[in-house]
Amino acid sequence: MGYLLFIVRSALEDFKRSKMQTFLTSLGIVIGVFAVIMLMALGLGLKRYISDQFEALGKNTLFVTPGQVLQGGGFGGAASVLGQRFDIKDLTNLSRVKGVVGLAPLSSKSGKAKGTVKTEYISIFFTSADFADIAGLTIDKGRFFDKTDIDKHAKVLVAGPKIAEKLFGSTINALDKRVSVDNVNFTIIGIIKSKGGGGLGGNDYDSYFFGPYTTGFIYDPQKQFIRFAIKTDPNIPLATVKAEINKVMLKRYKDDEFSLLEPTEILSVVNSIFNIMNIVLVAIASISLLVGGIGIMNIMYVTVSDKTREVGVRRALGARKNDILLQFIVESVALSIIGGALGLGLAFLGVLLVQGFFPAYIDVPSMVLALGVSSAIGIVFGVLPARKAANLEPVEAIRYE
Amino acid sequence: MIKLQNVSKSYRVDEDTIFYALKKVSLEIKETEFVSITGPSGSGKSTLMHLIGLLDKPSSGDVIIQGKKISQLSDDELSTLRNEFVGFVFQQFNLIPKLSVLENVLLPTVYARKKLNYDPEAKALELLTKFGLIEKKSSFPNKLSGGQQQRVAVLRALIMEPKLILADEPTGNLDSKSGHDIMKLLGELNRNEKITIVVVTHEADIAAYGKRVIKVKDGQVG
Repeated sequence: MGYLLFIVRSALEDFKRSKMQTFLTSLGIVIGVFAVIMLMALGLGLKRYISDQFEALGKNTLFVTPGQVLQGGGFGGAASVLGQRFDIKDLTNLSRVKGVVGLAPLSSKSGKAKGTVKTEYISIFFTSADFADIAGLTIDKGRFFDKTDIDKHAKVLVAGPKIAEKLFGSTINALDKRVSVDNVNFTIIGIIKSKGGGGLGGNDYDSYFFGPYTTGFIYDPQKQFIRFAIKTDPNIPLATVKAEINKVMLKRYKDDEFSLLEPTEILSVVNSIFNIMNIVLVAIASISLLVGGIGIMNIMYVTVSDKTREVGVRRALGARKNDILLQFIVESVALSIIGGALGLGLAFLGVLLVQGFFPAYIDVPSMVLALGVSSAIGIVFGVLPARKAANLEPVEAIRYE
Repeated sequence: MIKLQNVSKSYRVDEDTIFYALKKVSLEIKETEFVSITGPSGSGKSTLMHLIGLLDKPSSGDVIIQGKKISQLSDDELSTLRNEFVGFVFQQFNLIPKLSVLENVLLPTVYARKKLNYDPEAKALELLTKFGLIEKKSSFPNKLSGGQQQRVAVLRALIMEPKLILADEPTGNLDSKSGHDIMKLLGELNRNEKITIVVVTHEADIAAYGKRVIKVKDGQVG
């Protein structure tokens, strides 16, 4: 029988005989690991969800927004809040840039819409026909608006399935119906396929209306846009197109009055925000791990005093101080790893439970972290009691009643 | 084999009082001897046993074991000596409750630093067979009678093939028949295996098993 095996078995044998005590002792670690892993899973899931949304935009997408949006890795969009906007002239200029294959100006309108079933506050994105392609929208019923609609300032809208159902009971009922938004009457000419999700930071296209940008001018006499979304030619390097767009924009605006954004840049900002948030949350949850560790230390002191005589006997039989030290550290590590594994199991259950409505996700590094941290806790909080045991005088220990 | 030269062991009771458990004791135990150490309780015989068994160090004087002064040995070296050289048998058996009989017998080999020239498990099974405990090998100590537990303890003392077996009141917790059985067993080990035996006891009939009796009284050897 190997030395280590013998020592590990001694520790585990102990637990078999007092399951309840073992469970209660490791409960602190169970809760701590559960809290940390669960928070990491929620954070990670959310991050992945948002990444997926950006990745759906594709690699050859650019945004032009007013002001300095990304500055030093954070959002500093004072100018965009202050209401600086783009106009038709920018649209024309951008459409002439070589390598721009899709161009969608964006302006929006919120208002009360009256359907056959219900009246709701809704939002309309006024844009171009290219928007469907850039945002990855596909038509379920009817059609998307086209260039003719734009030229004719047609009062037509395409509806997201969710809002269509809300206002008209079902998507099929909504098609070809009239809807009035702030006293302007529109005809619904198409319904898009559900993109799902939404409500967690990404745009929930299912709840929007989309209309021709020229029609949007009804609400905006100044004819302005809040943003451009651009699809570039995949055969031309993105950087080249970007430089070209920059040059065009600089003719009318100062360097700090507009920003050119790639989804990946936005993503990295979002990621850095999430990472900081995650670290803070996990740090707070780690306090419960600390409490769990103290619980382990406490029970290990009890164990050492219970086993004083056993320590004396083992010393008499030839155990060195380090053998005793190792025995108790193995015991406390085993205790906290049991707690860690239970906590991890519980977190898996928790993730299964919330997955229906929240994109939680446990990755391999979190699992390794859970078990690594719990064994580290076992060592750190086991050392003091184990040293007490190792430093017992053999004579005193063996006489102990 | 073991020599004590002018050995004293003292404890400070309070600021001006020092209690001497042993006072300038000199004695020698030779190889293959069977020695009984006897005396009333509080006479210092337990202290003497702890010194012979390398569990304690003297306050003054020298304990010399196989030519080495134990005061010059490190804690690890003393542990190794206890492991290889001495087998302990205690009054309270002191088996580890959560280990089986076989594992208890094997325990000293777990702490062995030298390479054993035999397979520990085979040797343990052989000992258990020889001393009629093989059917109990998977039992836990609390399922055994006192006499059986003490025999397991003797086997645990034997597994490392020690030169010396040190028994501290080995019959103290046993009925008289089991007690005498254990003493006969120790006698056989002394005769057949040439193992030096030192038994500490306060009972005269148990002390009588020894070929030499060392009497301790008030911390001194008479």
